Amino acid sequence: MEHTTLAHHLLLAGLLFALGLTGVLVRRNLLVVYMCLELMLTAATLALVAFSRFNRTMDGAIFVFFIITVAAAEVAVGLALIVALYRRRGSVKSDELVTLRD
Amino acid sequence: MISSLANIDVAFKALAPRNADWASLLPEICVAGLALFCLVQAMALPKSLRWLIPTTARVGLALVMIMALQTGTAWNPAEATPFFAGLTKLTGDSAQGIRCTFLLSALLTSFLAGRFFKERPAPIADYHHVLLVVTAAFMLLAQSNHFVTLFVSLETAAVGLYVLVGYLRRSQASLEAGVKYLVAGGLSSALLLMGIVLVYGSLGAPGVDSLNFDQINAALTAGKGTALTMVGLALILGGAAFKLGAFPFHTWIPDVYQGAPTPTTALLGTASKAAGAFTLLLLVTGPFAPLAPKLAPLLAIAAILTLLVGNLAALATTDVKRVLALSGVSHAGFLLAAIAAVVISGANDGPMLLSIYLIAYAIGTFLVSQALIELPVAEDHQRPLLGLRGLLRRSPILASALGFGIGSLAGIPPSIGFFAKLLILIFLAKLHLWWVFGAALLSVAVSIHYYFAILREAVVRPTDDQDAVVPLEVSFTSRFLIGALSAATILGSLLAFRG
Repeated sequence: MEHTTLAHHLLLAGLLFALGLTGVLVRRNLLVVYMCLELMLTAATLALVAFSRFNRTMDGAIFVFFIITVAAAEVAVGLALIVALYRRRGSVKSDELVTLRD
Repeated sequence: MISSLANIDVAFKALAPRNADWASLLPEICVAGLALFCLVQAMALPKSLRWLIPTTARVGLALVMIMALQTGTAWNPAEATPFFAGLTKLTGDSAQGIRCTFLLSALLTSFLAGRFFKERPAPIADYHHVLLVVTAAFMLLAQSNHFVTLFVSLETAAVGLYVLVGYLRRSQASLEAGVKYLVAGGLSSALLLMGIVLVYGSLGAPGVDSLNFDQINAALTAGKGTALTMVGLALILGGAAFKLGAFPFHTWIPDVYQGAPTPTTALLGTASKAAGAFTLLLLVTGPFAPLAPKLAPLLAIAAILTLLVGNLAALATTDVKRVLALSGVSHAGFLLAAIAAVVISGANDGPMLLSIYLIAYAIGTFLVSQALIELPVAEDHQRPLLGLRGLLRRSPILASALGFGIGSLAGIPPSIGFFAKLLILIFLAKLHLWWVFGAALLSVAVSIHYYFAILREAVVRPTDDQDAVVPLEVSFTSRFLIGALSAATILGSLLAFRG
């Protein structure tokens, strides 16, 4: 166990990703769901950096900067939407979103 | 040390963009510039001149469309040339069709928005800004040749669309649709990203840029794919299928289409669906082409299920926007069937086939949306079929817009929609894909039922409601648009038959 290998990194990334996915599917608070989505993106980023390091290619490490930028934009818009919805109806529970139905 | 620095310098010089690179993206750059110009106008112009903003956006879009048609033939269309050191690739002739699909959608959405926001307290300049950014991102997306380009342009478009869906900040329905789209979209982009990472990692080796489509293709041809690559591939295709709204990733569609402001609904149904279709085609014929034998049956099954699920769900629906959303799912099934056929046959006219179908679908969708927008309603998200009663007496021109639009969407013979469906059906029959052919034919038959239920309410059914017989004023712009689009449904098919 002196050296961490690619498998260790991937295992951690996979766990984080599964944690995020479970949260998105199970949790009802939109803010928590959104945090879980970001956790999934972070897990993918971690795997990307690990692959980049162990495959000895720089492209993945550079891709990470783009992902972070995109995620920041997404968070800005996402939080704005969630805050606007909260102001409008005073709750961010996903099971109370029932305006739209047939 | 010095020599290695010099090497890096040489390497950077080799990657530096050339003039030809910038020229290849001129239409996209112009659309993005136009987007910024909208904001500048919003700051600089006095309130009395604000009407200039949508007008400049429309004129600009029309000019870019002319430019895109010109440049497509000026470049060597026979071979796809990579630009920006392999980040983008101009897909020959088809770049014209792809660009024009997106530009046309944006132009028509702008007209819808101009009418829609006249009565609603929301700024039109910002709407146009985001609309143009999304359009530029879609145009770039269809030409990407590298997963960085693909991911960044896909997300740029997605974030813009979140804004456009939740644009009516005072409307609970619009915000709810925005949040639902945000969660579904965020989930799909996280899965897509994980897929990209797995493909990158499993094919990576020193000196290989395994995010580049050409190098992924080469690595897969050499048989370097592993189980991890296949998992990654499945996740990536899922991300593209989400954009397209294909089964099993279609569940977000009815709610989001219903709650979004109607111009955005039209944009989602045309440009966003087009982006999903072109991206899926790009992926299965580009980087993942060596896996075509494994992918083709998967695509065919997805096409059949999408056709059936979309149509059956649309049958049981009574809200006009939801019917349009679910019928859009079955149109996505048609597009998937075309993609499956292209993968099986190895034909290279896929983008053209998709463009014709998508332009036909866009014309029909915009005609119906125009008719819906002109109808006064209390809430934009509540448009029951009953609300259409007496439309023929209130405004014959709106009823005719609905007739031409629905005729084209359902694929009634002289319309361009019929021609687009026929092309795909012939293609499927030639390849003996009888199961897909049968599902497509069945879906046309079923769709006639629910499409004409809309028309029956508007034209045939009588109404006792006194409000429902008051004539509707339709502005000159709307009349002109309806006339032009209705003519396009007929003339388009004549042109297509001759060509």
